[in-house]
Amino acid sequence: MGVLRSIRARPADIDAGLDDPCGALLRRAGRGDQSAFAELYDALSPLVYGVVLKVVRDPSQTEEVAQEVFVELWRLAARFDGTKGSAKSWAATLAHRRAIDRVRSEQAARVRQDRDANQVVREHDVVAAEVESSLDQVRVRRALTQLSELQREAVELAYFGGHTYREVAVLLDVAEGTVKSRIRDGMIRLRDELGGVA
Amino acid sequence: MTDIDVHHLAAAYALDALDDRERSAFEAHYGACEVYGTDVAEFRQTLTHVADSLATPPPASLKASVMADIATTRQISPSIAPVIALNQRPRARSLMAVMAAAAALALIIVGVVALRGRSEPDSFSADLARVMEQPDSQVLSLENKSGGEGSFKVAWSSTLGEAVLIGENLPAAPDDKAYELWLITPDQAMAMYVLDPAADGNVHRALKAPADPSAWAITVEPAEGSPTATGDIIFIADV
Repeated sequence: MGVLRSIRARPADIDAGLDDPCGALLRRAGRGDQSAFAELYDALSPLVYGVVLKVVRDPSQTEEVAQEVFVELWRLAARFDGTKGSAKSWAATLAHRRAIDRVRSEQAARVRQDRDANQVVREHDVVAAEVESSLDQVRVRRALTQLSELQREAVELAYFGGHTYREVAVLLDVAEGTVKSRIRDGMIRLRDELGGVA
Repeated sequence: MTDIDVHHLAAAYALDALDDRERSAFEAHYGACEVYGTDVAEFRQTLTHVADSLATPPPASLKASVMADIATTRQISPSIAPVIALNQRPRARSLMAVMAAAAALALIIVGVVALRGRSEPDSFSADLARVMEQPDSQVLSLENKSGGEGSFKVAWSSTLGEAVLIGENLPAAPDDKAYELWLITPDQAMAMYVLDPAADGNVHRALKAPADPSAWAITVEPAEGSPTATGDIIFIADV
């Protein structure tokens, strides 16, 4: 069984390069090809930088985190598995994760001196105002309007604000279970609007 | 965290909205769980569209820093498909030799008895989280050599000296037989736990890990367990 699966997996892996150009670059980078990685950087750096900036906010920290993300993509390139998602999706996941790690460790240090929950709520308004023109942005903004207010707030506070669902529950003053199900329902609706495939 | 919680947390996980404990528990679980893996992959793809809408050109200097950094960064090797071992079988032979050596060391083999009381789901989650929180914790999927259904993952921390075993979708052991988990070191094979999957084919178990493993294996043994490995290896993973 395992043999069959792995024999089949190989051609699919190669084919994946056809509809995932970043995946093809990432595989070349995994063999040590720095020029392929430079091309990959050109293709993905606005996304990686944009995601990190949205969560971290501070430009100089954003630069540090974005650099960490790219070095990690380089380091792990040979482990990329195109059957589990696109290279772009992998980069977006890693960028968000590293941004979250940064704000949470910052927050852990800061909260000890300064418990300022109000600031967190303000961030949310700023986020909404920042969404602007391009087609992608219009599409995403429209998709977000399809969510109920609580779903949208919960998803945005988690993804843009970097809060855990428990923290979101405190911010929105609703039960944790409610936030969990709003996040789930919101993500399902967003998936239906934006698509869950590349 | 119960299984039901884990299953409902795919969206929150994709959003990175779990705290560290929950994230670890979720990852330990969902690696073995196809459906929720698909959910997570789809949510991540959805969020990639959101991420695209956030695209912002980075400062031009960033590229030079990144390229300079990667030029001095070693890349890790690809993971090797386990089928290689299945066809060539050298690993299986050397492990049998290890187990034969272990027979001579029967005195130091840890007893067959399960080392803890039966884990309830909640305490299992706590056990799992405690292991996963350790900086040295590792998780491995065991390679299924049985030709049948089922999967095992083991997570452990050597500094903590504890392990958790997660088995899913397992067929019942043959009549008068049971599965037995072994912690293998260069010197010995330690009998860790004799198990007979529940009717739903699942095994969730916390154990002591009294040594630093070089491999984990599961064999088929007499129902009461065996202090030395006598049956076929049906699951195995090298550390």
